[in-house]
Amino acid sequence: MSMSGKSFRVLGERTARKDGLARVRGLERYASDYYLRNMLHARVLKSPYPHARVRSIDVSEAEGLGATVITFRDIPRVRFCPRLVSTPEATYKDWLVLTDRPLYVGEPIAAVAAESEEEAQRALESIRVEYEVLEPILDPLDSMRPGGPQLHETILLGDEEVRVEGNLACRLEVAEGDVEKGFGEADVVLEREYRTSRRYHSQLEVKSALVNPEPDGGVSIWCTTQTIHNTRLLIHEIFGIPTSRIRVYRLPLGGSFGSSIHTNLVVPIAVALALKAGRPVKLAYTREEDMHDHSSYQMIFRLKLGAKRDGRLTAGELDMVMDIGAHQVQAYPLLGCVVGWWVSLYKLPSKRYRGRAIYTNKVPSCAMRGYGNPQTTWMVESMVDELAEAVGMDPLEFRLKNYVGKGDIFWGQGPTVKSVIESCGVEEILRRGAELIGWDKRPKPGEQRGRYRRGIGLGRGFHTSSAGAAVPGTVVDYSGAILKVNEDGTIDYITAMVDQGGGSLEAHAKIIAEELGVPLEVVNIVAADTQTTLYDVCTHASRGVYAGGGAALRAAREVKGKLLELAARVLDAYPHALEIRPDEELGQGIIYARGVEGKEITIGDLTTMARHKNWGTIASAVSFRPGSCPPHFTAFFAEVEVDTSTGRVRPVRVVAGADIGTVINPDLAEGQIHGGFAMGWGLAVLEDTPYDPETGDLLCRGYITDYKVPTAADMPDVEDFKVFFVETHEPTGPFGAKGLGEAAKNPAAAAVANAISNALGVRFYELPITPDRILKALREKG
Amino acid sequence: MRIEFTLNGRRRRVDVEPNQLLLNLLRDELGLTGAKYGCGIGVCGACTVLLDGEPVLSCLILAVEVDGKTVETIEGLGEGGRLDPLQEAFIETGAIQCGFCTPGFIMAAKALLEENPEPTEREIREYLKGNLCRCTGYVNIVKAVKLAAERAKYLT
Ligand code: FES
Ligand code: FES
Repeated sequence: MSMSGKSFRVLGERTARKDGLARVRGLERYASDYYLRNMLHARVLKSPYPHARVRSIDVSEAEGLGATVITFRDIPRVRFCPRLVSTPEATYKDWLVLTDRPLYVGEPIAAVAAESEEEAQRALESIRVEYEVLEPILDPLDSMRPGGPQLHETILLGDEEVRVEGNLACRLEVAEGDVEKGFGEADVVLEREYRTSRRYHSQLEVKSALVNPEPDGGVSIWCTTQTIHNTRLLIHEIFGIPTSRIRVYRLPLGGSFGSSIHTNLVVPIAVALALKAGRPVKLAYTREEDMHDHSSYQMIFRLKLGAKRDGRLTAGELDMVMDIGAHQVQAYPLLGCVVGWWVSLYKLPSKRYRGRAIYTNKVPSCAMRGYGNPQTTWMVESMVDELAEAVGMDPLEFRLKNYVGKGDIFWGQGPTVKSVIESCGVEEILRRGAELIGWDKRPKPGEQRGRYRRGIGLGRGFHTSSAGAAVPGTVVDYSGAILKVNEDGTIDYITAMVDQGGGSLEAHAKIIAEELGVPLEVVNIVAADTQTTLYDVCTHASRGVYAGGGAALRAAREVKGKLLELAARVLDAYPHALEIRPDEELGQGIIYARGVEGKEITIGDLTTMARHKNWGTIASAVSFRPGSCPPHFTAFFAEVEVDTSTGRVRPVRVVAGADIGTVINPDLAEGQIHGGFAMGWGLAVLEDTPYDPETGDLLCRGYITDYKVPTAADMPDVEDFKVFFVETHEPTGPFGAKGLGEAAKNPAAAAVANAISNALGVRFYELPITPDRILKALREKG
Repeated sequence: MRIEFTLNGRRRRVDVEPNQLLLNLLRDELGLTGAKYGCGIGVCGACTVLLDGEPVLSCLILAVEVDGKTVETIEGLGEGGRLDPLQEAFIETGAIQCGFCTPGFIMAAKALLEENPEPTEREIREYLKGNLCRCTGYVNIVKAVKLAAERAKYLT
């Protein structure tokens, strides 16, 4: 049952995911599981320096060994942005596939393809490069200072060349209301600096691509990607191959978390090699190469908030500098989203924001599950706790007083994407969560003395479901769905949307089954590629269920209309008086006239009849743009234990509540929250990729031995992790559903950080909160 | 070099390079891509297979080392077309998200349940801590292993 009083047949049921069988049998094939006869193996030559110029490059020996070799000279010198989600006027382009001016350790200079990986490696090692080593800059604040090394002289904004000053990649300023007056009215004003870390996605599957050159000059591509259509568009943009001859297959992804929203560099490199060699080429990164390929955005915030004694916020000011590494993937849209995340948590009558994205000689940053929202939420939720304490209010009541909820204007996706919130379960999440964790019994900050100290913390947040809006804006967001009814009553569902693992396509199948009144088993998610699907922008922004499901629902409605229309002819009834019910025994849907016996026909029989009578295929093709991007809400209550002699933190209990509208896949939805917490835990206490100032390389040199992510042993017991959903109904979502993937993580780190502060009576302004930082803080506190 | 071993119940004779890794033999030569490359240095567990019943990381083992031995991979699990209770439990509890870690987890859990048919939750977590999963937060995976253990108890 949903809040709207509607009960569902398939939605909300625990069902076995369709791809589960292949996955438990080891038969699911991910990009690197594809092989072609006659394929060559590729390796990439990467810059050993964080900043250099290639003076000369000699590949003759490698070619002499029989390898196919490419350098920057072999690839059209097209400057591009690997992420094609924004419209041209909001897209900065500063990438080349292979470069002669490397800007980070690991930037590709050249690539080879040979008969085996070993031969490829030998060929790679025989390439002679002479570098002019340039001074690198690793700190974003240093990078902004005049007179230092410059990474890019000019870059493109759309097609227009723009000069880069002071390594400032892009900037955004937004203000609303009278901020000075707002702070003047406040009884308490706090101002703090917060720093987050540079994390690595550590998705289990490393980046890989297999490319087959086709006889017509086109290419077929099996690669790690969250978007097959944007991959195709980019390959077209760089190589000029007609779009219709670029075939990118939709494959399962071994996790991604944002690291394949943009087209991974392995794809154009493998395309260039395959075109030159005239043979299939496979390029799969090693884990160490993968770690030199992408990272999250590191943010340095300066936040100021004012509140009245009654707890009402009056004004806010935020200055954000983010380290984006050597190239822009989506820094500019992120500047807009960060202000969106910030102002959509709590009502600020007046606010001012300045965001700046800065180049450094580090691995390029890209979205990582939450797209800046986890960092922003940690900052806000940390200060909200402090403000509540300053005005003597319960932090939970403080949140209830100020949160942005139903009826409020929402600009989660940035200042250009505004809408009104139509569904919101925040209050219920907070009240129920508080009860389950025992909020009233939490310790007073700093009152404990023993070696082990426990604390309870709260983090509250949201994420947008898709980047849809009432107006076009600067973000592309639409999906496509094709449905075909087969002669045995089964349904083919064809979509370009990639499932990152969360079960989006499973949800689509359920939505289709629900709408059509057929058993879930008959909805078949068919293998698909760019040539056989309608455009889908990308699986990101928690849009899988909401936007992709929206397209699936509309396609199902159309097919249903056609089925009823044809059945009406056959049954001599009126289409609007017909309904469809599933017949589990027959394993298909039956169309029937209510209350009239004998007036019924199975979908299979109807479709077969349509074939014999030459009525044509019962099918639909729908392209759907969501008209808003409603927030889905979550809160985490975490209890932690800090060992004050080692500084180690352990999660004791977690309670998480979520409002995702109608719940479609209950166990997968819970799974999103479990995984979100683990990733939030990593952000809070574990993960960072510091650089070696001597070499300019990652300190861990890409070895995940030194990049700890949470293990099973680090997480609380099953029964100490409670997840609940408060069901609301989102009127714009398919059957009332919203997204989940990112809010499942966003406030988790904040809850952990607040719990640590609650245990110790000390606040931390830099992530991760490592044992060293805890011990230092305890020493300073005395 | 020629080696002979039992792979998922069948005798196999293959020629291998002296420096060839078991993981690469399975994936590149024998078409068994269930074992995954996740790190190549023994950190992630995605390449876990059973060697004479013991869980090993196939990215750290040379193919020549399996000469005369028995190797079981995820593809060989389950009998007579039926799923192993672990495989069933993974599907039922929602323990699979992207599924990339799943074969490694199932093989490691298989070894655990052989060794210790009634593990406590902490024992499960300790045993599986060499297998990384970035999607599930491990909750449903632990649930799946518990469920499979429960069921096996009923069976015996
Ligand atoms: S690939 Fe063998 S442990 Fe990671
Ligand atoms: S399910 Fe994705 S890594 Fe485990």
